[in-house]
Amino acid sequence: MLRALALFRKVALPVLSAGLLTAAGVAQAQQDDTLRVGMSGRYFPFTFVEQDTLKGFEVDVMEAVADEMGTEVVFETANFSGLFGMLESGRIDTIANQITITEERQAKYAFTEPYVYDGAQVVVKEGNTSISGVEDLAGKSVAVNLGSNFEALLRELPYADEIDIQTYESNIEQDTALGRVDAFVMDRVSASQVIKEKPLPLQLAGETFSKIRNALPFRDTEQGRQLRDEVDKALSTLRDNGTLAEISERWFGNDITQP
Amino acid sequence: MSVLDFDYMLGLVPILLSYLPLTLEMAAAGMVLALALACGLAVIRVLKIPGLNAATMLFISFFRGTPLLVQLFLFYYGLPQLLHFLTQINGITATIMGLTLHFSAYMAESIRAAIVGVDRSQTEAALSIGMTNGQLMRRIVLPQATRVAVPTLMNYFIDMIKATSLAFTLGVTELMGATQKEAAGSFLYFEAFVTVAVIYWIVVELLAWGQRRLEARLNKAYSR
Repeated sequence: MLRALALFRKVALPVLSAGLLTAAGVAQAQQDDTLRVGMSGRYFPFTFVEQDTLKGFEVDVMEAVADEMGTEVVFETANFSGLFGMLESGRIDTIANQITITEERQAKYAFTEPYVYDGAQVVVKEGNTSISGVEDLAGKSVAVNLGSNFEALLRELPYADEIDIQTYESNIEQDTALGRVDAFVMDRVSASQVIKEKPLPLQLAGETFSKIRNALPFRDTEQGRQLRDEVDKALSTLRDNGTLAEISERWFGNDITQP
Repeated sequence: MSVLDFDYMLGLVPILLSYLPLTLEMAAAGMVLALALACGLAVIRVLKIPGLNAATMLFISFFRGTPLLVQLFLFYYGLPQLLHFLTQINGITATIMGLTLHFSAYMAESIRAAIVGVDRSQTEAALSIGMTNGQLMRRIVLPQATRVAVPTLMNYFIDMIKATSLAFTLGVTELMGATQKEAAGSFLYFEAFVTVAVIYWIVVELLAWGQRRLEARLNKAYSR
């Protein structure tokens, strides 16, 4: 009984106070000198949670950016499909979730300079020899994340009609490992990281098939563009002084922040 | 298929439990507000108040006829583009509002059914001994209707607890959102989702136990 009480105090009380802090955090997020960054928290190793702590390449980059700008940074996590809604409705200032620059997005948002250069990669279940690159995807089922740019990349292929593209909210790695789909397409960097670090039987299939540049989108308003310029300035300082490269080395063992 | 990683699951339990209060708070707030709103709607429907009755039917039709997730997206992301001040509403409040409106539509109908279901002879008897309409409702109809409505209302509450798992789409890290992010960090999806399923299940079972006791109390007068 005493132990239950102690557990209650250890678990429930911090949460109740955390609830109050959340309310305070929302109020604080309205202040001008805070950079509100949205991310999914579900994109290893860019943004993910371990032992209740938000971690990842994006977290480190945005903290360095905020440091450089002399502001505070607040991270808001939400399902990927909710992130652009949060940006549009003004609840966050930008999205740090490996957002790839596309024409459609450029027409709508103000992007910073790219801070990650990468390529699209086909990944299959370990031992699958029938797919050795994007050219073998005709007639196969291929998983991509809902709202991600990889779906558009697949649809641009001349044989797109023959690919059974399946859009997922999450867990595409898991479903490929289970054999529910033949392959998934993701950026090469996080795909290799998944294979290296996680206990899923997966392998890369062939080379990357499209160059992608990822950057931070801001609302295309005067205020949004101004904030974008400030963040751009901080990013270029961090690129010049080697901070970006150092963060990248730490997470990936190589520098993905250079073209 | 590898064996379940029990150490990971055990380690996850206290982390996930720390998000349980938020889940329960949202469900409890939603339930109280939905119940109040549903009572109002049910009364309008039972008394067939002109004008309001039609509006209530439209309300119920919309909120019962569209998925909760669609309603949450409309409130949280859609409406603020038209009415900018709505961005002041945070995800937790939006979730509670969504749960309230959605579930009140269902609950209004089951409360109405419970009230209508009280036998007409009860009303006639009460009126024949000179009770006012208010007394009739308070002393005769509502106590009997409550007994009928409780099981279905508890059902909606249980459903509501599970519906809070949609809140992560609005940026609220509740029980399910926390699980999804932990699973993304460890890639131990099965372990993470089994753990969270067991937590939801235990919570609902505790509530069901409370419901049985409440029903036993309400049924006292009827037991023989």
